[in-house]
This record gives sequence, C-alpha cells and structure tokens, in this order.
Amino acid sequence: MVRISKEAMPSLVKILSDILVCPLSKHPLRYCEQSNSLISDSIGVSFPIKNGIPCLVPRDGKILEEEDASKPDNDTNLSTVNEENQQRSA
Amino acid sequence: MRGLSLFRKKPMSLAFRSLCLSPFSSNSNLKIFDRQLKRKQRDRAAWLMPQNDPLLHTVAQNLLDRLHDCKRTFPTALCLGGSLQPITRSLRDHGSIEKLIVMDSSYDMLQACKNAYHASNNDDNVDALFLVADEEFLPIKESSVDLVVSCLGLHWTNDLPGAMIQSRMALKPDGLFLAAIFGGETLKELRIACTLAQMEREGGISPRVSPLAQVRDAGNLLTRAGFTLPGVDVDEYVVKYGSALELIEHLRAMGETNALFEMNSILKRDTALATAAIYDSMFSAEDGTVPATFQVIYMTGWREHPSQQKAKRRGSGTVSFQDIHKHFGGQS
Repeated sequence: MVRISKEAMPSLVKILSDILVCPLSKHPLRYCEQSNSLISDSIGVSFPIKNGIPCLVPRDGKILEEEDASKPDNDTNLSTVNEENQQRSA
Repeated sequence: MRGLSLFRKKPMSLAFRSLCLSPFSSNSNLKIFDRQLKRKQRDRAAWLMPQNDPLLHTVAQNLLDRLHDCKRTFPTALCLGGSLQPITRSLRDHGSIEKLIVMDSSYDMLQACKNAYHASNNDDNVDALFLVADEEFLPIKESSVDLVVSCLGLHWTNDLPGAMIQSRMALKPDGLFLAAIFGGETLKELRIACTLAQMEREGGISPRVSPLAQVRDAGNLLTRAGFTLPGVDVDEYVVKYGSALELIEHLRAMGETNALFEMNSILKRDTALATAAIYDSMFSAEDGTVPATFQVIYMTGWREHPSQQKAKRRGSGTVSFQDIHKHFGGQS
C-alpha cells in the first residue's frame, strides 16, 4: 500500500469528514482554506490549525464575527436567545 | 538544557505542587482541576520529558499488552493525552493499526510527539493525525474509531465519567476502551510527608496531594459509562530516587504536578525543605534511596455489541446448583 504522507491537507480533509466534529456541539466541521482553520457552523466558532495540527480545545476557538457567520437564521436564533435571557433576568 | 536551567531558577513553590488525582465529580460544573494550568504544565513537561521514561514506558507496555490478548484487529485507534510517546511508538509497532489519531491538550507535547514520530518514521503505512483537544470535549464523531487508549491522562479530568462516556460514544460497536490512571496509593509517602511538614511549620494543611481514585471506583466508573465486559486490574510500581527533590523533578518532567483549582499557590521554602527532610527520614531505604509508590489502575471496557457474551436473564437457569455440586462430587 502506497500512501503519500506529505500531502497533509487532503488527508486532513478526508479525516476531517470521517472523524472530526466540533468539540462542543458534536456537529460537523468545515475546513476554511482562506484562514487555515476549522469552522464549526453550528456554533459559529473557528478553530486554528497550527503547523498541520488542528487545535480543537474550546478555549482555542475564536467566535466568528457576524459577517462571517454563514447563515442569517443563526443570527435570529442568537437574538431570540438573547431576548429570552433578558426576559429571565428581568 | 536551556529550558531545564530556566526551571531550576523558579522558586521552590513550584516544586512541591505534587501529583494529585481526581475524585469523581458527578456534577460536570464542579471544577476540581485547573485544566488550563495543566496544559501549561504539560507544555513545560514536553521540554523536560526524557526520551525513555522507565515508569511511563512500563505502564504503556503493560497497557498495550492487553491488546495482544485480543484476536480482533483495530484499524482506527485514538490515543488520548497522557504519556503519548511510549504509546504511539508501541501502537505503531503493533501492526494491525492503519489510522492513528493522537490527541493531547498541550500543543508543545503534541509537537514533540509528532517530531519523534516522524523522526523514527520508517515508511510504514500508518496514517497519523495529530490533534490538540481536550478529553472533556472530545471532537470525535460518534462510532468512528475501533480503539481508544488513554495512558495516564484521564486522572486530570474534572468530569471523568463524562470523558469516558464521550470515549464510548466515539467507539464503534465492539470497540475497545483501554485506560490507565493513577490510583489511591500513589505517592502515599509524599502525602504523609507533606501533611506532617505543613502541620509542623504552618500549623495547618492545604491539599498538596489531592484525594485519589480508588480501585473499587474504577469498576463503577466503567459500568456507569456504559462499557460492557469491564475489567480492572492494579499494579504498583515503586520507584527509587536519590532524594525527595528528585521525585519532584520527575513529577514535573511527567507533567504530573499539582493542578488543583483551589490550591495554595504559595509554598514556603521552609516547608518544602521540611517535607524533603521528613520524606528522607521516614521512608528512605537502607541504601539511601527514597521510594515512591505509583499505583496504576488499568481499565478495559467494550462498547456494546450483540456478539459479546452476556449474563442470561435472572431465573432462566434450569439446573440446580445442588445437582451440579453432586455431579462434581463436592470436591471442595
């Protein structure tokens, strides 16, 4: 069996779809080539890849800015949650 | 060496934050260990750790011995944090593994492991993926790996049952969970010495070595996490050191120093030296070495699968035990 270990990225993407999920929501992750990071769309957090090693500790994740957050309904969900919180605190 | 001399300069307060182990929290919000501090300690340990630590090596060998007892092969293996290098080395040599996922919460530790892995890489066909992640938040898809190995890592989790349940979910049906954690008798000498020294010098005690997991808990944990065919066994290793300070150096090199959330971060030099003196005078052997006990609990469990043997329904037996006794002639 011949495997080319140098091609880190394609294998990473494959393993990503096979095995890795978001550590918090357990939903699939998406690889973003532009920022070289793994993005969890379900909670709007990006996890960096340093030197070919994905860092999936929740503390390493960055919350994405609103314009990056993919789906508009995420925002509405968030705002309803906020409203609920406000109601609770009121 | 630069790293080493750097750490020597640190005050003694670091030296005696010694190893501690988890009591089991039922409440996942309860914070016993400072995971962030643990990451830093492991970052540091990555530079201090010797290539072949005999204790870690022995434990890893013992743990993986259990794999050789299984006829089943494990194409995809996940290796959780702890003593990574001995485990990855042995796992790769094991043969049946095609894809190896190595995980740790410390980036430096993982990078060191990756470098060592690639340095000794002799064109084998094991796919290795290195991954920084937290055992408490396992980023592994459900039913995707055949084997989960954790060697001396899980005793630092705040929510051990939770971490084990997540491991079970990550396993495919009939997948194997193998773990080694430090148990209750570990560092009992140091615990005694710390307590006595603190009583003597400060008139009170604070947790330097925290409550430990007991052997009987391990079985309960496995059952509670939903593993079938649970197995627990215990080994005790006595390591001999030149002095108590060498023990602390070793603990630090393994990244096993205290990370209790509510620990007293100040340790007076006075108390530290008193601890070392008490340790030496109470426990030193005739040849001048001081022993330290490490108790390791090995746990094995399987994810449920219909092919596994299980107990019959209660009351379904048709033969009386008295008859069996008669049949075999009451040899006992």
